[in-house]
Amino acid sequence: MSFKASQLLDGQLDREEVERALEELGADPDARDRYTVYGLVGDVLRGNPTPDDGFSRRIFERMQRERARMEPGFDPLKD
Amino acid sequence: MQSTDRPVASRLAEKQADAELVRLAQGGNERAFQALVVKYQRRIARHVARYVRRAGDVEEVVQDAFIRAYRGLASFRGDASFYSWLYRIATNAAFSFLKKSSTEVEADERSDQGFEPGVTDEQSPERILFARQIGDAVERAMARLQPELAEALVLFEVEGKSYQEIAQMLGTPIGTVRTRIFRAREFIARRLEPVLGPARDRRW
Repeated sequence: MSFKASQLLDGQLDREEVERALEELGADPDARDRYTVYGLVGDVLRGNPTPDDGFSRRIFERMQRERARMEPGFDPLKD
Repeated sequence: MQSTDRPVASRLAEKQADAELVRLAQGGNERAFQALVVKYQRRIARHVARYVRRAGDVEEVVQDAFIRAYRGLASFRGDASFYSWLYRIATNAAFSFLKKSSTEVEADERSDQGFEPGVTDEQSPERILFARQIGDAVERAMARLQPELAEALVLFEVEGKSYQEIAQMLGTPIGTVRTRIFRAREFIARRLEPVLGPARDRRW
């Protein structure tokens, strides 16, 4: 699964593989962590070593709290 | 006329890299959107931090930006890369925040209470130290990594080359590039574990 997480991060999977990889990530916290840490490694190499500290999780928690929904017709660059 | 000096192929690769995740997210797959957030939050936060100084405010603006992106996901047509779309949304979110807070500062000054000039950067010494430890651990791991693995990872992550380009440059099959990049990441990730601490703190 770690190999797939690496491939997912780099956009190397086709649609069906992406769907499967997401399901597997959903069921496997360690694989999600690998995906996160691989992303961190890339950012560190580009000079951005900021730790996550639950930053992503807090984004999802707020989305849930505010019941964020996709709104057809809403353009975030204009509205 | 090219706007950057990066090869066209790389920018095309970047544009396509998130295509499937974006399409799935647009179709209602929440995990797909989460995968995009996890991938880009750090870059977006650094961008926002150029305009907004307090760490707590940066976090709020980044959240605003991702929520706006999610609400407007249907309007993303893939004309630019997903990241550059996010980047522009984050820029707008930062400017809205600055506008709002300057209005609040004016209001505070009028009422002459609650405003403390000079309270700005709250990047804690602990976070700065933590970031340094992460940077050092990656550097040490890179120094111990087999050169051909380090080379593939740097070409991809730092030089922005596509897998295809790397395969051509190194004269290897693309499958070898996949494996080398993965093995390099895994090697570094293992050495980062003791520094990062328990995975649950960054779980999503």
